Amino acid sequence: MYQPLLTSRYLMTRMIPLLAVAAVALCVALVIVVISVMTGFLDMIRSSGQTLMGDVVITYPIRGIPYYDSLISTLEQEQDVKAATPVVDTWGLLRMPYPVGDAKESEQVQIWGIDPQSFSQVTGFAETLKWSEIPADTAANMRWDRMQQLAPTLVANLDLDARVRLLQQSAADEVGDAEPSVIRQLAANATRDDLARRLLHLAWQPDALRLVIGDEAMAAIDSHDPRLGERGLVAEEGRTLQRGGRAAIVSGLHVSKANERKSTGEYDISGGGYWWMPNHEATLTTLPIDSRGGLLDPKSIVLPFANEFASGVFLIDQTRIMVPLQIVQDLTNLDSADIVDPDDPTQVVGHVPAKATMILVRGQDGIDPVSLRSLVQTSYRRFQDACIEAGQSVPRLDRDPGLRILTWEEQNASFIGPVEKERELMRTLFSIVYLVCGALIVAIFWAIVYEKTRDIGILRSIGASRMGIVWIFLLYGLFVGVFGALAGICLGWLVTVNMPAIHEQMSSPPMWLGIALLVVAAGLLLWTISKYRGGQLLPVLLGTLGVLILAGLGAGELVLRSSGGIVLWDPAVYYFTDVPDAVDWPSAWITAAGAVICSVVAAAIPAARAADIDPVGALRYE
Amino acid sequence: MSSPLLEAHDLHKTYRLGQVDVPVLKGCSLAVSRGEWLAVLGSSGSGKSTLLHLLGGLDRPDSGRGEIRHEGQPLEGRSARAFDRYRAQTVGFVFQFYHLLPELTVLENAMLPGLVPGGIGAAPARRRVSNLLDRFGLSHRLNHRPRELSGGERQRTAIARALANDPQILLADEPTGNLDAHTGAEILDLLAEAHQSGLTIVMVTHDQQIADRADRDCRLVDGVLSVAEGTEPAPLA
Repeated sequence: MYQPLLTSRYLMTRMIPLLAVAAVALCVALVIVVISVMTGFLDMIRSSGQTLMGDVVITYPIRGIPYYDSLISTLEQEQDVKAATPVVDTWGLLRMPYPVGDAKESEQVQIWGIDPQSFSQVTGFAETLKWSEIPADTAANMRWDRMQQLAPTLVANLDLDARVRLLQQSAADEVGDAEPSVIRQLAANATRDDLARRLLHLAWQPDALRLVIGDEAMAAIDSHDPRLGERGLVAEEGRTLQRGGRAAIVSGLHVSKANERKSTGEYDISGGGYWWMPNHEATLTTLPIDSRGGLLDPKSIVLPFANEFASGVFLIDQTRIMVPLQIVQDLTNLDSADIVDPDDPTQVVGHVPAKATMILVRGQDGIDPVSLRSLVQTSYRRFQDACIEAGQSVPRLDRDPGLRILTWEEQNASFIGPVEKERELMRTLFSIVYLVCGALIVAIFWAIVYEKTRDIGILRSIGASRMGIVWIFLLYGLFVGVFGALAGICLGWLVTVNMPAIHEQMSSPPMWLGIALLVVAAGLLLWTISKYRGGQLLPVLLGTLGVLILAGLGAGELVLRSSGGIVLWDPAVYYFTDVPDAVDWPSAWITAAGAVICSVVAAAIPAARAADIDPVGALRYE
Repeated sequence: MSSPLLEAHDLHKTYRLGQVDVPVLKGCSLAVSRGEWLAVLGSSGSGKSTLLHLLGGLDRPDSGRGEIRHEGQPLEGRSARAFDRYRAQTVGFVFQFYHLLPELTVLENAMLPGLVPGGIGAAPARRRVSNLLDRFGLSHRLNHRPRELSGGERQRTAIARALANDPQILLADEPTGNLDAHTGAEILDLLAEAHQSGLTIVMVTHDQQIADRADRDCRLVDGVLSVAEGTEPAPLA
C-alpha cells in the first residue's frame, strides 16, 4: 500500500493542506458552537419547565377545580405519584416600594398562589431561592440605621479597652505603629462624637464591630431584625412564604428593578443594598373575575417580601411572584365561602369550596411524563365519579373543554416548539458552511493534483492503477477531514465551555487586551516597513493586512470598553440569564462525521481528474 | 533460436497536436530475445520514447495498427488491471530525468514499486532495494531526499527502483542523457552488470557510443526501425 505513505508525505511537506485542515476545523467548530448553544438553550427550557411545573399539570383556569384536597389525596394514593400541589394563578399589579415618594412604580405580575410545603415537593422551588442570608451591603445598611439610634448608648458603654480596640480597627493606618500607651491616651481623649462616627463606619465590617463592642451589644444591634442574627432564616422564610410571622411574597429576581445583573452573573442591589426586596413590602392588586368572565371589584393587599427566586428563565423571573395559596384564593374569589340566603343573610344555605386553577403533579423517579399523564387522567376520573356520586359539582373530563391534563412539555409546547425549530433551522443553515468547506477542498486538491501531475505519471509507470491514484487523493481528503474535524471539535469545545468567560470579556473587555493588540500591530508595522525596504511584495501585503486587522481589533476593543462593552446574551431576549456552556456531544460527533464525509466527497473530484491524467503526458510534464 | 521475449510488429502511433495528426511511429517492428541488451538509436523526436512507452504498456499503438507480444502473448486486448500488472511485474522504466518523487527518501523511492498491487510487497522490496542500493554505492544515502543527491546518484536510485520487483525487462530512456560522460559510463556499467545477471534491456539513445555497449543496436529513422538482418521478428501467425 503506497497510498498512506504518499498521502502522509504530501500532508507533512506542504503548507497548502494545512489550509484545508484549518478550513474544516473552523467549519466544524462554528457548527458545534452554534448547535451546542442552541441545544443548551433548549435543555434549559426543558429542565426549567420541569423544575418549575412538575411532570404533569391539571389546569382549569379562572373557575378552578373544587375539592382539590380530595383530588390530591386520590392522586397521591397512586404509587407512581410522588406528590401533588394546588396552585391558583392569576395576573395582578404589584406596586413596588421604590422610588421613595408617591410616584411608586407598578409591575404587572403573574401571581402563583401556592402551598409552599407541597409546592416544594413537586417543584424545585426551594432550590431556586436566591437569598440564604441578608446580603452584606444590606446588612451593613440595616446595622447603620440601627446604630444611629443606639449610638449614644453604644459609645457610653465602651470602656477604655473597647475604645482602644475601636481605634485599632477603625484607624489602623493612623495608630498602627504607635506605642500602646499613646493609643490608650488617644482613646481616653477621644470625643464621643468621634467614637460614634468611627463606630458607625464599622457597620460594613461586622467582625471588627463585634470585636470592639462584644457579642452582647452586637446582639442588641441585630435584635430588631432576627434575620441578622439567625443564619438560614431568610431561606426558611422564603420556603414558607412568611416574614416575621406575616404571609409574604417570594418574587422572581427580575420583578424588582433594584436587582441589576452584572456581566459576571452577580447581582448589584440598588442603593448600596438598600433596595433589597425582602426588607420591603408592596401592594398587590388583582381584578377577580366571576364564573361568567365578568370583572368584579379590585382587591388589594399589602404584603412583605420574604425572599426572591431565580429559576433561570428570564421570562418567569421577570413576571412571576409566589404568594400563599389562601391569599390568592381570596384575591381571586376562589376561597371557600358560605352561601347565604339573599333574603336573610344570617341564613347559611350552602358552602362553596376553595378552588385551585392548577394541580401540579410530580411522578416518582423513573416514570415518564406521558405514562404519568395517563395515570393522572385515570385518577381524575375516579375523583370525578366520587364527586358526582356525592352530589358535588366538579369540572368533568371530556365535557369541560377548559379542563386539561398535560405533561409539562405539552403545557410549554408553544415555548419549546419554536426553539426546537429554531435549532433545526440553525443546524441546516450552518450546514451550508460544509459546501464552502467542500469547495475549498476541491480548489486546494485541484491545485495539488496539478502540481503532482508528473508524480502521477511516475506512479502509473511502476504499475499503479487509476483507482490506486484515486485512493491517494481520497485518503488525502480523509486525513484532512479527520484532522480538521478533530481540531474543530477541540476548538468548538474550547469556545463553548468558555462561552460565559468570553461573554464576560465581551461585556467588559479588559484594557490590556486592546493595548496588547495595538502593541503587536505596531511591531508588525515595523516589520512590514523593513520588508518594504527590502523590496518584497508578499510580506508587505500580508504585514499590512495583519496591521490593519490587529489595529482595528485593538482600537475596536478600546472603543467597546469605553462604551461599556456589548452584551451578546441579553436575558430579556433569550429568556435565560446564563449562557449555555455545555457541548452537545452527539451533534458534535455528527458534525465531525459530516465534515469527514464532505472532505472525502470533495476530494473525489480532483482524485478522478488525477486518475484521468494520461501517464505519458504526465511524464513529459514539467 | 529461442522465441523472443518481447516483440513488436508494425507499430503505428500518431499524436494529435491541435488540429494536426503527427505520425511518430510508422510501422516499427522488433524482437528482443531473453537476456538481450538492445539499443535503439535515433535522433531527438524520432519516436524512441514513444516506442519504449508502447513496449512498457504505458501507451497503446493506434487502434488495429500494430501489435506487441510478451512471451508470445499479445498485450492488446488485456484488461487495464493486466496492463498495470505488466508494468509492475514485467518491465521496469528508467528515465532520462530520473523521475523520482521529491517527498520520498532514496529508500522509499526505490522500494515504491514493491508496494503497488502485483509488487513483491513492502518487506521483500525493502530487502531487495537495500541490497541493490548497497551495490550501487548508495547505502549512505538511504534516508536522503532526491534533491540532496547528484545526478548520478539519482539515476542509480531510479535504476534500483526499476529493478525493485525483479522485472524481466528494463526499458531505459536515454539513461545517461542528463549526465556527464564519466557518470554516464558508471550508469552503463550498472546496466551491464544487471544485463550480465540475465536482465533483458531495451535502451533508447541518440549516442552511438552508448549504443555500442549493447549487444546490438537498431536505428529508428522516420518512424521505422532499420533492424540488422536476422533479428526481425517472425511473421505473425
